[in-house]
Amino acid sequence: MSTRDLVLAALFAAIIVALGLLPPIYLGFIPVPITAQSLGVMMAGVVLGARRATIAVLIVLVLVAIGLPVLSGGRGGFAAFVAPTSGFLFGWVFAAFVTGFLSERLVHDNQSGLVQTVSFFLAAMIGGIVVLYAFGIAYLALAANIGLKQAFVGSMAFIPGDVIKAFVAALVGRAVMAGYPLLRIRA
Amino acid sequence: MQSLYVEGNSALHRLSPRAKIFSLFLLGVMLFIGDNLPLLAIVTLLTALIYRSIGLSLTESAVRVRPIVLTIVIVALFTLVVSPWQVALATLLRLTALMLFAAAVTATTTITQFMDEITVLARPLERTGWVKADDIGLAVGLVLRFVPEIIARYHAISEAHAARGLKVRPVTILTPLIILTLRDADNIAAAIDARGIRRHVS
Repeated sequence: MSTRDLVLAALFAAIIVALGLLPPIYLGFIPVPITAQSLGVMMAGVVLGARRATIAVLIVLVLVAIGLPVLSGGRGGFAAFVAPTSGFLFGWVFAAFVTGFLSERLVHDNQSGLVQTVSFFLAAMIGGIVVLYAFGIAYLALAANIGLKQAFVGSMAFIPGDVIKAFVAALVGRAVMAGYPLLRIRA
Repeated sequence: MQSLYVEGNSALHRLSPRAKIFSLFLLGVMLFIGDNLPLLAIVTLLTALIYRSIGLSLTESAVRVRPIVLTIVIVALFTLVVSPWQVALATLLRLTALMLFAAAVTATTTITQFMDEITVLARPLERTGWVKADDIGLAVGLVLRFVPEIIARYHAISEAHAARGLKVRPVTILTPLIILTLRDADNIAAAIDARGIRRHVS
């Protein structure tokens, strides 16, 4: 891996950490605060592509493991890995990979802005919601000793917020692509 | 950024980091296999004693685990609704014991010790050519160096919004934040290569 790719991944890991420390942003008329670092994971995928986004998320998980309170709300350390909702944390790795993989395949330079935005939205929805929740729900069912169906129902409450985040990630992904394209790895 | 490590000289502080991480893993497996309630209660009590023995004040030790305790309680209550009370209680004890021991391991192991363990774990992976163990340390250092900078940049962009009478919206703040941050990558990479920090990349 080139030094530039390593630095890009580390800088995005720093953005994900910073998102957990910043005050929440409110979306216009909807009273839902955008705090969660899962937005950062989706953005890593749409901006950096599969490989570098996965590395960025892995760096964040290393920071958690070595005992730094880098998750939102000052969480960190091994305790964050053994909570009933830790599946959503491990799932970040796969969410970033799938979001990045789909972004690389679906989005091309010669498409119109609208097509690019919709493609990024699809990538963020599939990676950041479908894949992430598959891991989160499976782990929750196992850790809390409840059925998969109950774990699924219990997690549904968070889906609307994550759909909004996927939408924000798509707009940001498209804007960054127009301003400073990084999705394709430079030779 | 303050590490969760606590200065001290308890038995857990003196135990090797590898032994601690391995015990945590073993405890996790055992807790999920066993479902004897009195035994689970004893283990939970023991982990609570261990967590209390590492020299954290009562308030600080409670503050640290509060967000995770909250999730555990919600999950246990949810389990109580869908399963018999014995299952819910076992879940509550299991998750609490694991969380307390994990918090104790984190509080008694320094960042350097953890980094050494991660480097050892990464050595076999080096042969596959996927990762270089030294790069992990470099990446961690880079993140710690740039988080304060990104936060300062965020505030600068918010002020620029305020100066123009614009509302702070996620897209108008995150896009410049990401572009401004990632645009530094070329310079940082050049600086790293100029100093020969990544010797394995010739």
